[in-house]
Amino acid sequence: MKISKKVALGVSAAVGLSLALAGCSSSTPSASGDGGGDPVKMCVLVSDATSSEALGFKAYYTDYIQSNFNVTFTYSDELADANAEKTAMEGFIANNCKAVISFASADRGQQIQMAEDAGIFYSVATGTLPEDQYEEFKDSPSYIGAIGPSLDIERQAGYDMAKYFVEEGDTTFAIFGGGIPYYIDMHIHRVAGMLTALAEEPSTTYGGQKEFGAILGKIMQDGTIKVADFSSDVYELSGYVEAWNFGDSAWQANLAGVVASQPDAILAAGTGFAVFGAAIAGTDIKIGDIDAYTEENKKAMEAGSLAYLAGKFTSINGPIFAATLSAVEGSPIRAEGDTALALEQGYWVATSVDQFTEYLAADTAENPVYDKESLEPFIGTDASYDEFAQFVSQYTFEDLVG
Amino acid sequence: MGTNSMRRVTGTLFIPVAVVVVLIALCSANGVSLFNTGDSFLLLVRGVATTMLTAMALSINLNSGRFDFSLGAMATLSSVIGATTTLNLGGGFPMMAIVTLASGMLLGAFSGLVYVLLRISPMVCSLGITLLYEGISFTITGGANVSFLLEDDLTSFAKSPINMIYVIGAALAVMYLLFDRSRFGFEYRGLITGQAASVAAGAKEKVNAVSTYAVSGVLMSMVGLILASQMGYIEAGKLNFGTIGVMFTAFLPMFIGGYIGRFSNDKLGLLLGALCTTLIALAMSALNATSTVQSLTNAFLLVAFLIFLSNEDRITRAWRRFTRRGGGGTSLSSSLGEPDGATSLRGANTP
Repeated sequence: MKISKKVALGVSAAVGLSLALAGCSSSTPSASGDGGGDPVKMCVLVSDATSSEALGFKAYYTDYIQSNFNVTFTYSDELADANAEKTAMEGFIANNCKAVISFASADRGQQIQMAEDAGIFYSVATGTLPEDQYEEFKDSPSYIGAIGPSLDIERQAGYDMAKYFVEEGDTTFAIFGGGIPYYIDMHIHRVAGMLTALAEEPSTTYGGQKEFGAILGKIMQDGTIKVADFSSDVYELSGYVEAWNFGDSAWQANLAGVVASQPDAILAAGTGFAVFGAAIAGTDIKIGDIDAYTEENKKAMEAGSLAYLAGKFTSINGPIFAATLSAVEGSPIRAEGDTALALEQGYWVATSVDQFTEYLAADTAENPVYDKESLEPFIGTDASYDEFAQFVSQYTFEDLVG
Repeated sequence: MGTNSMRRVTGTLFIPVAVVVVLIALCSANGVSLFNTGDSFLLLVRGVATTMLTAMALSINLNSGRFDFSLGAMATLSSVIGATTTLNLGGGFPMMAIVTLASGMLLGAFSGLVYVLLRISPMVCSLGITLLYEGISFTITGGANVSFLLEDDLTSFAKSPINMIYVIGAALAVMYLLFDRSRFGFEYRGLITGQAASVAAGAKEKVNAVSTYAVSGVLMSMVGLILASQMGYIEAGKLNFGTIGVMFTAFLPMFIGGYIGRFSNDKLGLLLGALCTTLIALAMSALNATSTVQSLTNAFLLVAFLIFLSNEDRITRAWRRFTRRGGGGTSLSSSLGEPDGATSLRGANTP
C-alpha cells in the first residue's frame, strides 16, 4: 500500500500530538471519598515541574488529595517568566478553574489581580508575599493567602546551615547561589543568612558588612556573590557558583574550580547535590543543602556527600489546599480584620542518615502527615483562624509525627 | 614548504593561535592562569568534544540547507533511553553507550524520514520532531530527572581526559572517512553544489538526506552520553522547545570552523573552532566573569565574527590598500587568501 503524503502527515501529527499530550500532565476526574457533586477544579501554577521536590508535591496533590477529596488538579507547564504565568492564568480562567494554587513567583501581583478580576480564588503555596504586596491584596476576597517559608525562615535556614558546619569545625566554604542572578528571593535570603552566620566571627565581613540587612542589600545590588568581597582571618570563601547552565563550558569550568578549591563544605541555596554530586565524588567535600526529602538525597546522605539537609516535606502544601478548598466551598478562613492568611511553615532538618530515613518514611505521597483526617476539620467548617494558625504552626517533625 | 602550504598552515592556525595568545595575555594581566585548576585539561578536552560534535551535527545538515532544531532533543532522548535501559537492566557504561548511540542513529534516521516523506520545510519538520522527542522523554520518565549520581561506573567515563581525546579522534576519523573519502560523502557534496546534476548522475538524494540525519543523531547522542556521564543525571522534563538551546552553543564554533576549513579541512576547522570557544569559556571562568558577562561576551563574539564574515571582501580590500600605502609587507590576502583548490564552505555556513 502506497502511503500518501496526507496519510503520513496525519499519522505523524496524531502520534506526535498523542505523545506530547501524554507527556503533559492532565487532570483526571477524581474518585473522591466524598462523592458529592462535580469535583472542584483547582489549577496549579508551577515554575519548576521536574525537580524531585516538585514531583513530590505534585504526587501528593494528584495522587493523594485528588483521591480523597472532591477535587481535580490541572497543572501548568513549567513557567519561566511573568508572561508565561499570565498566559497560564488566562488558560485556567477560560477553563473554569475555581481556584489557583501558585508555586510560580515571577509576578504574583499580576496573578492575584487576574484572579480577582475573574472572580476565582488564589493562594500561594510554599512561599510568601512581600510585605508591600500583602498590604495591597490582603483585603481582596479572592486572595486566600500564603502558607510557606517566609523570607525570614529562608534567612534562618541559611544561617542555621552555615552555623552547623562552623560548629563542626569547618573553615573553608564554597557557596552555590542557585537562582541569585535571577533575583529569586528565597535563594538570596538563604545565602545572606549563610554569610551572616559566618560574619558573626569578629574578623569576618562580606562587602565590609556584618549585619543581615546590609549583606542582603549588597547581594541585591550586585546580583551575585563576589568572592573577593569576603574577608576573614578564620574562614575562607574558596569559590562560588550560581545558576544551572549545565551545557555551558564556562559554567562547568566554574564548577570545577569550586571543587578544585577543596572547600570543607559547599553551602547550597538549593539543588546542591544535583549540581555537585558527580563533581565531588571521591573527595571529602560535604554538601549542605536546602532542598527536599527525596530518595536521591537519601542516597547522597548515605554516601556521605550530603551532610545537612533542610527540606520541605512532601505534604507541606496540605494546609494551603485545605484553606483554598474551604474558601471555594464558602467557608474562607480569614485572619484578623478579614484579611488574607500569611502563615509560616519551615523546614525539617536532617544531619544523619537515620534522621533522613525517618523523615522520608514518615511523609510520603501515599501516606502523608497532612492526611485527610488532619485537613478535613478545616474544610467547609466553622474552624476559626486561630485554630487553623495553630494547626499550621505545628509543622515540625516532632509536632506532626511525634 | 611552498607558498601555498604556508598559506594553508597560517590560515588554519591564525585564529586559534591568536585566541590563545589574547586569552593568556588577558589572564596574565588579571593575575590569573588560563588553566587554573587540576581539571583544566579535562574541562578543555571535554568542552572541545561536546562543542565539536554539536557543531558537526549542526553543519552537516545546514550545509544542505536543512536547519535542525531537534539536536538537543535527540541528545536528551537518546541518553534517556540509554540511561533508563541501563539502570533497569543493571548494566554498565558499555551498555549505556551502545544503547544511547544506537538510539541516536534511529532517532536521527526517523527525523530524516519524516522530512523526506512529508516534504515540508526542514525547519518546520525539525520543530515538530523537537516537540515529539521532548514529549517522549517526558513520557518515559514522567518528567523526573534520570539520576545516577552515585553510579561511578556510569559517571567515570566523562571524567577521563583520555576518553574525551578518543571521542574527538574517533569523531574526526569517522567524519573524514564518511564525508571526504566515501561514495556517500561524494554524493553529499555533489548534492550541495549541484543537486540536479548529482541526481541525474545517480545520487540517491533521499537516502543521502536520511543517512545524514542519522549521522547527526549519532553525533548528538554522543553529546548526550558525555553530558549525562558528566553530570550524573539527565534533565528529561523539558517541554516546549526547552532543549533547543543546545544547538546555539555550536554556532560560533561552526562559523569559525567554516572559515578555518577553507585553508585545510572543514572537520579540522570545526575542531579548532570548538577549541577556540572552549578556551574562551575557560578564560571567562578564570577571570570570574559573571554569567551575565559570559552571555554578553559570547553574543558579542558571535555577532562580531558574523560581521567579519559578511564584510570579509571589504576588509581584505581595505587591508590591501593599507599595506600598499605602507610600502609593501605581507598583505592579508597573500598570507590568508584562499589557497589554490581549497574547498570553500563560505556560502553553506551562512544561514
